[in-house]
Amino acid sequence: MKNLYIFIAVLFIPWSFSLAKYDEFEDGDDIMEYDDNDFAEFEDVSEDTVTESPQRIITTEDDEEEATVELEGQDENQEDFDDADTQEGDTESEPYDDEEFEGYEEKPDASHSKSKDPITIVNVPAHLQNSWESYYMEILMVTGLLAYIMNYIIGKNKNNRLAHAWFNTHRELLESNFALVGDDGTSKEATSTGKLNQENEHIYNLWCSGRVCCEGMLIQLKFLKRQDLLNVLARMMRPASDQVQIKVTMNDEDMDTYVFAVGTRKALVRLQKEMQDLSEFCSDKPKSGAKYGLPDSLAILSEMGEVTEGMMDAKMIHFLTHYADKIDSVQFSDQFSGPKLMQEEGQLTKLPETKKTLLFTFNVPGSGNTSPKDMESLLPLMSMVIYSIDKAKKFRLNREGKQKADKNRARVEENFLKLTHVQRQEAAQSRREEKKRAEKERIMNEEDPEKQRRLEEAALRREQKKLEKKQMKMKQIKVKAM
Amino acid sequence: MADPRRPGKVARYKPPATETNPALEDPTPDYMNLLGMVFSMCGLMLKLKWCAWIAVYCSFISFANSRSSEDTKQMMSSFM
Repeated sequence: MKNLYIFIAVLFIPWSFSLAKYDEFEDGDDIMEYDDNDFAEFEDVSEDTVTESPQRIITTEDDEEEATVELEGQDENQEDFDDADTQEGDTESEPYDDEEFEGYEEKPDASHSKSKDPITIVNVPAHLQNSWESYYMEILMVTGLLAYIMNYIIGKNKNNRLAHAWFNTHRELLESNFALVGDDGTSKEATSTGKLNQENEHIYNLWCSGRVCCEGMLIQLKFLKRQDLLNVLARMMRPASDQVQIKVTMNDEDMDTYVFAVGTRKALVRLQKEMQDLSEFCSDKPKSGAKYGLPDSLAILSEMGEVTEGMMDAKMIHFLTHYADKIDSVQFSDQFSGPKLMQEEGQLTKLPETKKTLLFTFNVPGSGNTSPKDMESLLPLMSMVIYSIDKAKKFRLNREGKQKADKNRARVEENFLKLTHVQRQEAAQSRREEKKRAEKERIMNEEDPEKQRRLEEAALRREQKKLEKKQMKMKQIKVKAM
Repeated sequence: MADPRRPGKVARYKPPATETNPALEDPTPDYMNLLGMVFSMCGLMLKLKWCAWIAVYCSFISFANSRSSEDTKQMMSSFM
């Protein structure tokens, strides 16, 4: 609407401009008639000429901008010229000064010839026209922008509604299980805000804490980017769905040492490549879960068979079977450190920090076209999460399992140390060189020659001792070898 | 079932540090911001109208994808 008004206003200006010009000439007509009483016999003629000439006057005195008027004037005057053929001539110029309109007489002659030759309408350049077509590019762009803005508002509101619907459905369950529901980390005291944390137009966070076994639970509602038109269009090619990601951080004493994952085959393959812990501890390919009664769509990645046995109890199988379409992946790990970090060779000197974590990724049903009602169907999954937390606490590996797990972890650490062995050696070497250099500098800076000599001697003695030690070691190794 | 809640064991929320895992961040708003700047410069210097329009679109996309923690003033200035 706004654009329409602006456009009408833009058209108004030249139109009023042309009107004003006509007004001028109307006054001019009156004045001319008043002056032309002497030529009353030519009244008819003068009227015609008067009516003709204003239009022609317009054409000569016009600015370039009045192109449309010029055209109109020319078109209308074609017939007039034909009719007033005989009347034209000297009588036209008589009422006015000849000097004023010198170049003017050519015009009627030119128009004479023009009326004989086919009229060639000169093409007025586009930027002089005040019509729609010259602005089609702008109109197109502005329409596109408006569409984008509309989509932004609609998408934002939809995501907001979905998030709040989810929260309202799950609020009761969460509040009965956690002392603190909703925290943004900024307030001084740890009080439940009872609200979702909006990180983005499509990501909502919720932090829950204060329960046995676990340190805290972070729930991330990762919706599709409905507010971005580009994303919406991309999704038409490649359907995707909203995701709910739950990350439970366990207390150290409440979880035994094992790595286990279950989920769709595609998700597990991806996780195995990306996640540090899954790639190191679960070396086999995802196995089908059919052995435990799981549907074919789900697969299992596990460190040991014993873990799978322990995890797959009746209730868990029930959960997994019933809600298999909504589960993307479930990961229990005591060595969780996030995705593999792409670091340069020189920086990898320490193992990344690990935390005992349970990770759940659920797909919201509807694959993009979700409605707030779909959120209710995710409630049983939250119950599964709570159940898993309790289960992880209860599940303990037996002696053999524990030994295997410990061996695995030692193996991983050793591998890591081997990899970084070269780097650590280099680091140690550089440190030693630094020390030597510092010492030498000290010696050089000593002004007292006595002290200098003494320090040099001390350095020499230290070097000799080192050499001796090395020689001793070599001898020992030789003896042992023999 | 005993009440599993333990008010005494409440841990505060710590926003995950984004410096340690840059891979988790979505780079779209930053790219779009940069593209927008480039196109606007192009449009200004070379007097190409379509460049300027693309720059406007880029800044819109960047705004739509941005995180709420970022400054609104920055957004407005980039839109300019």
